[in-house]
Amino acid sequence: MADSTMLEVRNLKAGYGTRKGFVRAVDDVSFSLGRGEFLGIAGESGCGKSTLAYAIMRLLRDNARIESGSVLFKDRDFATMPAADVEAHRWTDMAMVFQSAMSALNPVLSIGEQLTDAVHAHRKASAAEAQELAAEMLSLVDINADRLKSYPHQLSGGMKQRVMIAMALILKPDLLIMDEPTTALDVVVQRSIIEKIEDLRSSLGFSVIFITHDLSLLVEISDALAIMYAGEIVERGPAGALFSDPRHPYTRGLMASFPSLTGPLVRMGGIEGSAPDLLAPPPGCRFSARCPFAEQGCREGPSPALRPLGGDRFCACALEGRLR
Amino acid sequence: MSAMALELDGVVKHFPLRSLANYGKAVHAMDDVGFGLEAGGSMALVGESGSGKTTTASVIARLYERDSGGLVVDGEPARPFRSRKESLAYKKKVQLIFQDPFGSLNPTHTIRSILERPFLIHGLANGKADLDARLNDALEQVGLSPAAEYLRRFPHELSGGQRQRVNIARTFAVEPSIVLADEPTSMLDVSIRMGVMNMMLDLKEKKGVSYLYITHDLAGARYMCGTIAVMYAGMIMEIGPTEAVIADALHPYVRLLKSASPSPESGPARARLEAKGEIPSLIDPPSGCRFHPRCPFAKPLCSEAVPELRDLGGGRRVRCVLP
Amino acid sequence: MIKDFFKTLVSNRKSLAGLCILGFFVLVALFAPVIAPYPPKIDRLETITAIGEPSLDEELVAEDYPSDARDVLTYRSTLTKDYTKTIDYFPLRSRPSAAHPLGTNHAGNDLFSQLVWGTRISLGIGLATGLFVTILSLTLALLSGYLGGVVDDVIGFFTNVMLVIPGLPLMIVIAAYITMKGVLPIVLILGLTGWPYPTRLLRSQVLTLKNRDFVRVSKSLGERTSFVVFREILPNMISIAMAEFFATSMAAILGEATLEFIGLGNVTVVSWGTILFWAQANGALLSGAWWWFLPPGICIALVGTSFVLINFAIDEISNPRLRKR
Repeated sequence: MADSTMLEVRNLKAGYGTRKGFVRAVDDVSFSLGRGEFLGIAGESGCGKSTLAYAIMRLLRDNARIESGSVLFKDRDFATMPAADVEAHRWTDMAMVFQSAMSALNPVLSIGEQLTDAVHAHRKASAAEAQELAAEMLSLVDINADRLKSYPHQLSGGMKQRVMIAMALILKPDLLIMDEPTTALDVVVQRSIIEKIEDLRSSLGFSVIFITHDLSLLVEISDALAIMYAGEIVERGPAGALFSDPRHPYTRGLMASFPSLTGPLVRMGGIEGSAPDLLAPPPGCRFSARCPFAEQGCREGPSPALRPLGGDRFCACALEGRLR
Repeated sequence: MSAMALELDGVVKHFPLRSLANYGKAVHAMDDVGFGLEAGGSMALVGESGSGKTTTASVIARLYERDSGGLVVDGEPARPFRSRKESLAYKKKVQLIFQDPFGSLNPTHTIRSILERPFLIHGLANGKADLDARLNDALEQVGLSPAAEYLRRFPHELSGGQRQRVNIARTFAVEPSIVLADEPTSMLDVSIRMGVMNMMLDLKEKKGVSYLYITHDLAGARYMCGTIAVMYAGMIMEIGPTEAVIADALHPYVRLLKSASPSPESGPARARLEAKGEIPSLIDPPSGCRFHPRCPFAKPLCSEAVPELRDLGGGRRVRCVLP
Repeated sequence: MIKDFFKTLVSNRKSLAGLCILGFFVLVALFAPVIAPYPPKIDRLETITAIGEPSLDEELVAEDYPSDARDVLTYRSTLTKDYTKTIDYFPLRSRPSAAHPLGTNHAGNDLFSQLVWGTRISLGIGLATGLFVTILSLTLALLSGYLGGVVDDVIGFFTNVMLVIPGLPLMIVIAAYITMKGVLPIVLILGLTGWPYPTRLLRSQVLTLKNRDFVRVSKSLGERTSFVVFREILPNMISIAMAEFFATSMAAILGEATLEFIGLGNVTVVSWGTILFWAQANGALLSGAWWWFLPPGICIALVGTSFVLINFAIDEISNPRLRKR
């Protein structure tokens, strides 16, 4: 497990305005991340996982804002820091890989220019140094350095995503946030990219927050796992423990939503219904409408908080312990 | 051996390119594609994007006509349509479920006007009362009830899962014998995928249709289908009973695919196959075996001639010279 | 669907403002005879005071010219009684006054009345051209986009040729060859030079819709081509076609004003453009007769603004990314 805490998110609330009102996509989220740790955040579309990532990076869109809470990164609060200071830390201390490498890369600049621009924007470096660094980073992600002169359209989808990773890591950040980095890619390419990230993490020692809806993938690659539902973290803990013994009914449902490749062929349940509208979240537990175990008490009062279960595990279900 | 619902034999489909730079070239979307689907059976067609699996479905549904090769549906060889009646009769037998639940329902129509079309086109309803009863049945058997509530809504008022259920209801409305499902759950939220997959399994049981289930997800293919065919770059690489193929894949590509697929039970430590590169361009496909540039076991022979789809007995066939 | 579309238009603040302005001008055009104090092309008022009944055979018995602007003529009728006809000439080039709120022009026509009556012609030409161009370009776009192949190539060729010819000179050349009778020729000229751009825009929309899954579903169900085009594709083009309608209408109003202004239109017609033409021809701008050229200019600008506002709103409605959050 983590030896020292690098990132600590405390009671973070963030959201965005829509025509119909304010959507609190991240509601009272807390977690911590150790140095070199790999945290997977799983959730379905609209659960707030991307808003969480953007809020940590302070890259929220104009219509979105952080309401309250703190993002302590190396003992400084990113949530309240002036924007100019954030600029200085972003990319050098924490970097992000976006879902669509296709649109995140500028089509009219070569790969080399974009990589060196990232260096120059944050650090004093000569052109030759930047060029050398760019070449080094490309070879780290298994792309030949003569590709520096290539333009994005000359690269395949997998290669573009590798370039994005190289660009994120070029200033040797301590934290890499990845928002669905492999969703648009095929299985085989996805696997090779994930293995690359794993290699780089063990050699460079950065921490990773990996966000995706693909729980079966996360279970395999993460140290710790957080499950998000309707803006809240409903369960978190070590990945293996969550997989073998999920406690929250939503986690159980998610685990039963991925057919197995090797295990016995059994009929699986999935989860009935659909996620609540975050404009007007229901009272009580937000999962109660879809939960097969829900009781009257689940549909009243405030949303249940994350409770420690021991062994670094937390679960936000009022019925936890009584479910079997 | 039971009757075959669908048989393809050496089907070829190339899309000629119109641009000047690629003049005279074509996208080799399907080459020598052949398989059989038993009546009441289910086959998964697995492949990555660009492998030609969606083209295969479109060719079977005859949204495009194949360039050459045999296509037999319910024992009848497919011939060019000579009349609208023939074309309608074919479309009543073979139906498609599309991948995108948002794009496959016209946003300007209500669910009722979308769902009544199959009944009206194929003359399946006798009068308004009968049509109403059939619309109700169609929605209720996909788990959308009360039906009246859904009929007057517009597509944008439904969730992704509900829309896909409407799509499936429309597909089954004409009582087809073959349903081609093109990644029907890949664009749905993970928690509702199983619900749709289970519903499809139940419908198959109840209606006795045959499924061609197209997917990129090996585990999903295993859940849905008894037989599996893996496509790569426009060609079928391996066909066989699902359990046998997944437990003991023979083609290096299928082994690679299996080793890359997420599998929490196996844990992260399992040995993986390494492959270089990505799926090749279908405009200039590699010579010989289309997988050879990425294959860890490739030999000089592999780049020379396209391997045959060899029959290995037990219903298994593989397009590789090695095993 | 169309009802929904208009409901959304009304609920959007921009389009509501646009619709209000447009509605105002439409009312003015419809009720022009009621609103305008005089018909647009008269320069005098004649009053007949019957001393007796008028008759067929008449004879002027007395003439009196009390002022420059008034003639009093008395007639004797052989069969019946006598009568007096008083003719009040409107002043020429007068400043705004109680009798003529926007003054009069060089021929003594009441400018306010001309402005009101001109609304009919200008707005009518604009909307008629908009309708004509929208229908024409929608038809061409559907043919070209949906059928593709040779049809697309031929239509595409003519569209491109028309697009590279500058619009105004082309309009002027055509206008110079056509004898102007009434307003129909103007509508035709504006329409025939205005279709290429909307056609190209609508065609690209047809192309994207054609490849949408619901169109493929329709085909796989066995729908006829006509059904696919009119029931599946066309309803999805309403908002973009409406946007084109308003954009073209606005261009037509400007185009009409331009043609009239440079004297290539039909100068006997009273429209905002012809008012401007006569104003310019008679040096209104030089003499600072703002009441002559400013009001038609403002009207053109206001109608233009209303169309632009409506189009902004249509953009917001059909493109959710532009919606105010």
